[in-house]
Amino acid sequence: MTALVVLLGAVVAILAVLVGGLLRTHAEILKRLHELGAGLEPSESSAQASPPPTPVTSREDFQVMPQVPAPPDREHFGGAADLVGLAPGGQDAVSVRITGVPHDTIVAFLSSGCITCQKFWDAFRKPRKLKLPDGTRLVVVTKGTDAESPSSVADLAPSGFPTVMTTEAFGDYDVPGSPYFVYVHGPSGRVRGEGTGPDWEQVRSLLEQATVDAGLTTALADQQVSKPDADQAREERIDRELWAAGVRPGDPSLYSVDGATATDEAGGADEADDSEGHGSSAKMGGS
Amino acid sequence: MKLQAHGIETDLPTGWEGRIGVRTTPLATSSAIGDPAEVPHPIVHLANFALPEDRGDFGSGAVDLMGDQDVFVSLFEYGPECANTALFSRQGLPTKLTPNMFSASALQRTLPGQAGCQIFFTEGDRAFCLYTVLGKQSSAAKVLPGANAALSGTRIQPR
Repeated sequence: MTALVVLLGAVVAILAVLVGGLLRTHAEILKRLHELGAGLEPSESSAQASPPPTPVTSREDFQVMPQVPAPPDREHFGGAADLVGLAPGGQDAVSVRITGVPHDTIVAFLSSGCITCQKFWDAFRKPRKLKLPDGTRLVVVTKGTDAESPSSVADLAPSGFPTVMTTEAFGDYDVPGSPYFVYVHGPSGRVRGEGTGPDWEQVRSLLEQATVDAGLTTALADQQVSKPDADQAREERIDRELWAAGVRPGDPSLYSVDGATATDEAGGADEADDSEGHGSSAKMGGS
Repeated sequence: MKLQAHGIETDLPTGWEGRIGVRTTPLATSSAIGDPAEVPHPIVHLANFALPEDRGDFGSGAVDLMGDQDVFVSLFEYGPECANTALFSRQGLPTKLTPNMFSASALQRTLPGQAGCQIFFTEGDRAFCLYTVLGKQSSAAKVLPGANAALSGTRIQPR
């Protein structure tokens, strides 16, 4: 009888813990929904506007699949540089031009050890199936002999694409890990896109998007109407004067409301000058 | 951009890329090109265009892709027994190639418009053949300064 009572008591205690946990979870959900404005009328929602929720795309919340490296913590693309290093096997020397060349280059940063990289090593053995964009060269980069086994890289390296063993390139391109891909525009030497994925199909899709975006930008640039020479010369003069005065592209003074008010009040010729100044600042910012 | 391997060093001019390597000896049972009994020696390939990976010692596979302004340079080392022999009696790596040195008949593989130049020499008791191909013979005066700069930046260490 005593054992039965003890057992019953234990079951009740466990149930109590479970119910407590459920109630707590429910309260947490209601609290989060309330923060997001759920269940409130639009007017009520705006009237009781609480601090905006933390953006879900903040760096702390952004996560990638565990087998691929997270993107580097920077606003812009990294740099591009020509590649110099050792060939697979660690005996021969290789240099590959990436910048100042007529073709674009996809630089694939791989490792002989990472599991995800194996899919790319395998894919690169079948060049025709890669469906590389026209006029694009693929170059594989691994770390140097200080971090990679030359014989392992030699076993994995595709025969149809250059493979360069160079640790320096990982720094030059600010690569967060392997696998990672950087798409470089050859003539300008600028990075058009970068990123990674679990397989070549996803990476190719990412790079195609970068290509399309770049192509659209080029197409739009081609459609721009050229300015009269006088306007061009005036803008260049203003740019030089602003630069000499220490006003750089993006300088807050170029966009300040105070300046606009002062100009409005001044009117006349000053207004014309101001409009030119704004035009030139946009050009500087874009250049 | 400096390259160094197998006792050869080169400092490439802007726009050039290169390889310094030794071809692996093919196995007797494999179908790879070459004689299983050969002893491969270093080969340097320099070019002002993107070198394909599948290249022959004297540029087959690469010269097919050349444009009018392209230059391909192959520095092929022969065995030590060849050094200072009659064919390799010239001393020192040539660094001043001129348009009149080039001819379509000097090409290993004749391709329309292309011209080649082949010079044998010895440097540091090492025997070499310098084989240069122009994508278009009429562009020689324009592109040879780049080739000469690449050659001037190349050093061969004595054996």
